[in-house]
Amino acid sequence: MKKYKNYLKLFIYSVIFIFVIIISYRSARPRYKPEHYTDIFKDFSWLDDWPKWLDFPLMQPLNAGFDWLIENYGMFFDGINNFLLGLYTSMKNTIVDLPWPLVIAIVIFITYFASGKKTNTTILVAFCTFFLGFLSPRYWDKCIMTVCIVVIGMLLCIVIGIPVGIAMARNKKVRNALLPVLDLMQTIPSFCYLIPGILLFGLGAVPAIIAIFVYAVPPLIRLTDLGIRLVDKEVIEASEAFGASKRQTLWGVQIPLALPNIMQGINQCTMMSLAMVVIASMIGTRGIGDEVLLGLQQLNVGMATEAGIAIVLLAIIFDRITQSYGERIQERTQKKKEIEEHA
Amino acid sequence: MKFLRNLVLSFVFAGVMALGTTSANAACKVHLGDFDWDSANVHTAIVSFILEKGYGCEVEVTKGSTSPIMAAHYDGQLDIITEVWRDNIVKMHEEAVNAGKIVELGVNTPSSTQGFYVDKATSDKYNLKHVDDMKSAEIAKLFADPEEPGKGRMTSCISGWTCYTINLVKHKVYGLEEFYTNFDPGSSGALDAAIAGGFKKGKPVFTYYWTPTGLMGKVDLVQLKEPAYDLACWTEMMVVVEDIKANGPDVFKDTCVSAYVDMALTKSATTKFANDPANKPIIDFIKKYSVPTADVNKSLGFYMEADGDLEATAKDFLKGSKAWTKWVPSDVAKKVKAAL
Repeated sequence: MKKYKNYLKLFIYSVIFIFVIIISYRSARPRYKPEHYTDIFKDFSWLDDWPKWLDFPLMQPLNAGFDWLIENYGMFFDGINNFLLGLYTSMKNTIVDLPWPLVIAIVIFITYFASGKKTNTTILVAFCTFFLGFLSPRYWDKCIMTVCIVVIGMLLCIVIGIPVGIAMARNKKVRNALLPVLDLMQTIPSFCYLIPGILLFGLGAVPAIIAIFVYAVPPLIRLTDLGIRLVDKEVIEASEAFGASKRQTLWGVQIPLALPNIMQGINQCTMMSLAMVVIASMIGTRGIGDEVLLGLQQLNVGMATEAGIAIVLLAIIFDRITQSYGERIQERTQKKKEIEEHA
Repeated sequence: MKFLRNLVLSFVFAGVMALGTTSANAACKVHLGDFDWDSANVHTAIVSFILEKGYGCEVEVTKGSTSPIMAAHYDGQLDIITEVWRDNIVKMHEEAVNAGKIVELGVNTPSSTQGFYVDKATSDKYNLKHVDDMKSAEIAKLFADPEEPGKGRMTSCISGWTCYTINLVKHKVYGLEEFYTNFDPGSSGALDAAIAGGFKKGKPVFTYYWTPTGLMGKVDLVQLKEPAYDLACWTEMMVVVEDIKANGPDVFKDTCVSAYVDMALTKSATTKFANDPANKPIIDFIKKYSVPTADVNKSLGFYMEADGDLEATAKDFLKGSKAWTKWVPSDVAKKVKAAL
C-alpha cells in the first residue's frame, strides 16, 4: 500500500511539473517562442542557454494580486497604519518632551530592577545611555525615535510570536505548516517586503515596524516552541497526575519552565529589530539609521562610524536589560529545581 | 593527508581556472559601473552591447547605489560610468577630477528636468500651478504628514544628495517650510514606491522628482512653476547650500532661489583606463555617446514593458535609432548590426 502511495506522489508531482511547463510556454512572449511548438523537438539549440519561453509567469499575478490588495483592502491597511502610527507618535513625543536627565534616570531605574539590583549592569547601561547624547547632541532625539520603533516592533512580536510558538509546541501539524513560513521570513531579502510596505503603509515608521515583525519574530517563535518542548516530560506527567488541566499545565508548569528560553528569544528579537531599523532608514524611517545612511551617501566614513557606534551602544543597552532580566528568571527557576532536588 | 591532497587539488583547480580565463582573453576588458535607477541601466546596457558585439570586449557590469559605485570608480576599480548625475555629487566628483583620478567624457543626456510635482487630479481640482499656490493650510492638509500633525509632507530628494539641501533652502525661501516637511525618502526606490503608492491609492501626491525616469511615463504629474532659472541667483543659492551641507541647517541665510536648471548628465572614465593607448577606440566611442532625452524616455518605456529585459531594450534602441552609427567606426557598426 505504502509503495503505491509513493508512486502516486511521484505521478502527482510530474503532472504538476508538466502543467507548469505548459503554462510557462503558453504565457511567454511570442517573439521568444519558436514558430511552432514542434520546432522544439527538431531544433535543440535551446538546450545551450535557458530558453526564454521557459519562464514561469509568477511576476504578473503577484503584481495583479498586490494591486487588488491595495484597491480593495486599502482601508484595512490604513487602519493598521493609523493605530501603529498613533502608538508610535504619542510614545515618541512623550519621551522627546521629557528632559534628558529624566530619561536617563528612567533607564537606570528600569535596568536596576530588571537586572535584580545588579550594580555593574546598571552602571554600564547608564554609561551607554549617557554616551548616546555625548557622541553628538543630534543623536539623542534620533535614538529615542529608533528605540520607540524597536519597542513597538518588539511588543508586536511578543503579542503574536509567543502564542504562535505555544501553538507550535502543542500541535505537530501547526509546526509542520509554520516551519517553512518561518524559513521564508528569515531568508527572503528585506527589500522584498520593505518596498511593498511603502505602497501599503506609506513612507515612515510603520513599514519599518512591519519589517521588524517579519524579520525578528521567527527566532522568538522558534525559541518559545523549543523552550516548551524541552520541559521535562516527568514534570508534565507529575502535574497531570495531580489533576492539572491542560491550561493549568501550560500556565503553571510549561511556560514558567520555558521562560529562560523565551527570554532568550526576546533578546534575539531585540537585536534583530535593531539591525532592521537601520536598513529601514532606506525607506525614509526617521532615527539613528539615517545618520549612517547620510554618512555613506556623502562618503563620510567618520560620520557613518560615529552613528554606527551609537547603534552599538543602543544594542548594548537593550541586550543588557533583556539578558539580565532573563538571568534573573533563570536563577529563580533553577532555585526551584534545587529545592525540588533537596526535597 | 586527505586535507593536504584536497589543498593541492584545489590549488591545481584554481590554477587551471585562472589559465582558462586568461587564455580566453578578449580584445579588451571593460568594467562598467551601473546604478539602481532605470535610465542608468539602459545606457549601460546599450554601451555594453556595442562594446561586446562591436569591439569584441569582455564587459563586466557592477550595479549598486550612488556612493559605493562612485567610490569604487574613484578608486580605479570601475573603468567607465555611463551616466553621472554630476550636479548631485558635484563636490566629490570635482575633487576626484582635480586629483587626476578620473577624466570626464562629456554629456550623456543633454537635458534632464528636476522640480516639485503634484499629481494632475489634485492640481486641476485645487488649481495648483505654482509653488506659491501650495502655501495654505488647507492645501497642506491634502498632503498630511502622518508623523507631523498639522503639516503636509513633500517627499523630497534623498538626504546626502545635493538636491535635498537645495529643496530645504527652497522650502525656507518659498515659505513652504511652515506648511510642509521636507521628507527624506531614504533611497530612490523608496521615493518611486511612495509616488506609485499614492497613485494606486488615489491619494494626493506632492513630491520632488526628475526625468528621464520610467515612472514618469506611467503616472500623471504636473510640475509646479518656480521663478525662472537665473545663473547669478543659482550661484548665490549654492553658496548657502554648500554652507548648510557643511555646517547644518542653522546657518541658513535668506537668499535668492530659482527653478532647477536643465541638468546635463555626464560620463566619466578612470584616468588609468583612459590613458592606456589600447583603450583609445573605446574612449573615442564613449566620448561621442549621447542620447537625446526623448529617445531615453522611449527606451525607458520599452524597458518597463519588456519587464526589465535589458538586452532586448538595448537591441530595440539600436534598431530604432541611426544616430549611434556615427559614434563608432563603420566596421564596428557592421558587427553590431550583424548581432542585432
